[in-house]
Amino acid sequence: MELYKFGVQFRISNSTAKTLQDFIPVFHGWIQRQALAGHLLVDVHDYSHVPNGPGVLLVAHEANLCIGEAERSLVYVRKQPAALAETLQAAHAVAKLLTDDHGVKFAANRFEVFSNDRLRAPNTAAGAAHWQPLIAQAAVGQVGQKANDPRERLTFVVTRTP
Amino acid sequence: MTWKAKLGSQIPAELGKEIDIYETQIELRKLGKIDEKLFAETRLRRGAYGQRYDNAQRFDGFQTQQLKYPHARLTKGPDTAWDAPGMQRIKTPFGGVTPEQLEVLAEIAEEYADSILHITTRQDFQLHFVHIEDTPDIMRRLAAVGITTREACGNSVRNVTACPIAGVCRTEAFDVTPYAKALAYFLLGHPDTQDFGRKFKIAFSGCECEACGLVYMHDMGALAQVREGRRGFKLFVGGGLGAVPYQAKVFADFVPVEELFPVAQAMARVFARLGEKQNRARARIKFLIDKLGIAEFQRLVAEERKILPADSRWTSYLPEAAVFQEIPAKPGCQLTGQQPADFKAWLETNIYRQRQAGYAAVTIACPIGDITATQARQLADLARKFCNGNVRTTVEQNLVFRWVSEADLPELYRGLQAIGLHEYGAGTILDITACPGTDTCKLGIASSRGLARELRTRLASKFFTLDAAVKGLRIKMSGCFNSCGQHHIADIGFYGNSRTISNRKVPHFQVLLGGRWRNNAGSYGLAIGSVPAKNVPVVVERITERYVRDRQGNETFQDFIARIGKAESRRLIEELMTVPTYEQDPTFYSDWGDPRVFSMGDIGMGECAGEVVSALQFELAAAERLNFEAQLAHEAGDFAKADELAYGSMLQAARGLVHEQWLDVPTVPATVVTEFKTRFASLFQPALATYLLRRYENAAATPTRETAHRLIEEAQLFIEGAYTCGDKLRQQKTAVLKK
Repeated sequence: MELYKFGVQFRISNSTAKTLQDFIPVFHGWIQRQALAGHLLVDVHDYSHVPNGPGVLLVAHEANLCIGEAERSLVYVRKQPAALAETLQAAHAVAKLLTDDHGVKFAANRFEVFSNDRLRAPNTAAGAAHWQPLIAQAAVGQVGQKANDPRERLTFVVTRTP
Repeated sequence: MTWKAKLGSQIPAELGKEIDIYETQIELRKLGKIDEKLFAETRLRRGAYGQRYDNAQRFDGFQTQQLKYPHARLTKGPDTAWDAPGMQRIKTPFGGVTPEQLEVLAEIAEEYADSILHITTRQDFQLHFVHIEDTPDIMRRLAAVGITTREACGNSVRNVTACPIAGVCRTEAFDVTPYAKALAYFLLGHPDTQDFGRKFKIAFSGCECEACGLVYMHDMGALAQVREGRRGFKLFVGGGLGAVPYQAKVFADFVPVEELFPVAQAMARVFARLGEKQNRARARIKFLIDKLGIAEFQRLVAEERKILPADSRWTSYLPEAAVFQEIPAKPGCQLTGQQPADFKAWLETNIYRQRQAGYAAVTIACPIGDITATQARQLADLARKFCNGNVRTTVEQNLVFRWVSEADLPELYRGLQAIGLHEYGAGTILDITACPGTDTCKLGIASSRGLARELRTRLASKFFTLDAAVKGLRIKMSGCFNSCGQHHIADIGFYGNSRTISNRKVPHFQVLLGGRWRNNAGSYGLAIGSVPAKNVPVVVERITERYVRDRQGNETFQDFIARIGKAESRRLIEELMTVPTYEQDPTFYSDWGDPRVFSMGDIGMGECAGEVVSALQFELAAAERLNFEAQLAHEAGDFAKADELAYGSMLQAARGLVHEQWLDVPTVPATVVTEFKTRFASLFQPALATYLLRRYENAAATPTRETAHRLIEEAQLFIEGAYTCGDKLRQQKTAVLKK
């Protein structure tokens, strides 16, 4: 099975419910009980001082996940390659944990999937053409390429009918 | 497709080869064919550094957890798990960085780190949470835009720093930029800088009275001077912060530019030869000079200088340096027209009017040295548009755009505002410098970044109400006494420590007052007492309020502290040194930004000092690598190549031994073999020595599978013999030193 480095971003829909700092003890708690299956959770990092930055970051061996500050959202980024389906599944699992245990709600029917490997999935027309059907298959939804700066990562918007 | 294949010829051949070698070393380490200490120093010299918790243990607030990484037993240094994320330091000599480089830095920050570029107090960039296996590709992508990470860490010449406004400064003697750049690349990988017991830091300044390059706190500092129309440098040596700060001593009042490189090279040789190698706490050059005395050091360097083989690189860059000039994006025009809201405050603190009329140098305040990958790309766009890509990092963890037409300042401000980097207060009390501390550093005791974040927030909320004298103060902090945050040269400095109260650890910060940033780090602050971390914001309030209240006329903060004296300074904070019991206030028992109960249990072995690995050990490791490559060639059926590589590995090992006694030994095989025979006939096991001699005298006309295989085996034995011979040499040296 081919393995890739991709990321997933979910927008938080009740973003005023918690401050960024509120997530610091949440993530420390996850490390204490190694709460994410398939992930070795390592450390928490506070980037709340960086405008539009990663906010509060939970570092795992397999992935970084953060509550980003730009548009308050959960961002899950693979650092170790994984199957697309596994990446999506893991990102959904993190979102579910935040919802179930901490009341964080997400815009579930619209999220972004992006490449974290400009070599294998460059932000080019050819890159988009290659990856769009694969993302659609893995994400089970309508997939459209996000128009962004070509220097940024190749990003797709996934929409699902409620 | 790989990055190596994709970037191809964009990577300079020599850099590409170095990175390929490093990648092979990673493979060899995974196979257990390189010792972990040697590999640690190898990766450190490529800027790949360890990070907190990389011993696979972390205190989670209740207990110390074992972090179960996939390669459980594989290490990349003593007590350093292979899979544990680490830090990649990226050298940018004199802080110079181009828009293209910023874009690549942004890409690698996203793909291999946490999307943050951290600017250090030595004008480097750092990426955190990086995996060792990604580092060769990181290096290749950087190399393709002219950046090397070589010697960013380890016992080597670190990033050569320089004043960020060199060339546009109103008070400098001349622009030190081309000299700093040329010296950085001259010493990079130079054979005479490979055998230090500790790191060596160099800085360049253009003028004496400003902070400039902070030459007084460097191992070697070069201060620009012009005498009778000739350019040269006042050279300083033996400065340094760290646990025991030293002010540099004047090595020479005037060294003409033609002599700068040979003198630096001679200093490197003396340091490599006589510097401490066993006790790392006393291995910096400042201790050697302290031991020898500056006069004896000067004499030794002068002697060494006399016998240096001439090198055309000493002067070949000078004609270009003499006419070096950056090109602006636009003609310089005065600031006119409508100005955005809040622009005035930014203009007052973040703008330096260049000596070139109509131009300004703009400091972009990066909070605690951090910018995002997205911001880096947008900064690249702004740099192209407004300053023709003339960007520098600063030791205060900011960025400087030079050559901005003053008329463009409002538009640039709006551009920075759009990306959240329009913060005013550069170079003021808001612009706090902090090392990584407990966030990522293995040696960190307290959270310097957590404290910096808290102080910034509090000070920003009342910045406009602060007295002008207080606004101009500088605060710098380190997570431990090692001074990476340069706390000694701040008006108000802090370094992390810990105190035990009723069997519980409490994070503290030692308070230092009265350091001098100006005059090239002209004097160091003095410690007055340690306060709990949670009381530091009140300490800052109390000290600054007292300064405003009792200041006499235009008295500087340093003069004020000197006048009131240490005892009175301590009285100011004494009440704040006490710690409430845990039951009274448990928040004192956690650090800023970290809800875990404070612990010292996560402190590891620092890698800053690197592993003391001799030049010979590196040569022998290189010989082993060559012989490994010979095996690969043999496996691939290329017996001629296998034969050549195996022979090359023996030559490398022999040359390493000769180099122990003759620094300038050439690489010519005939010389290496002759010198090897002459010098090591009695020390090297004769049977093993014949393997080299026989191959030198009788190369197989057409190497076969069998002859190449035999030579590989012999080469391995020869290398073993070289190790044994190296041990004997070391024993001889130790015996001589004892006498």
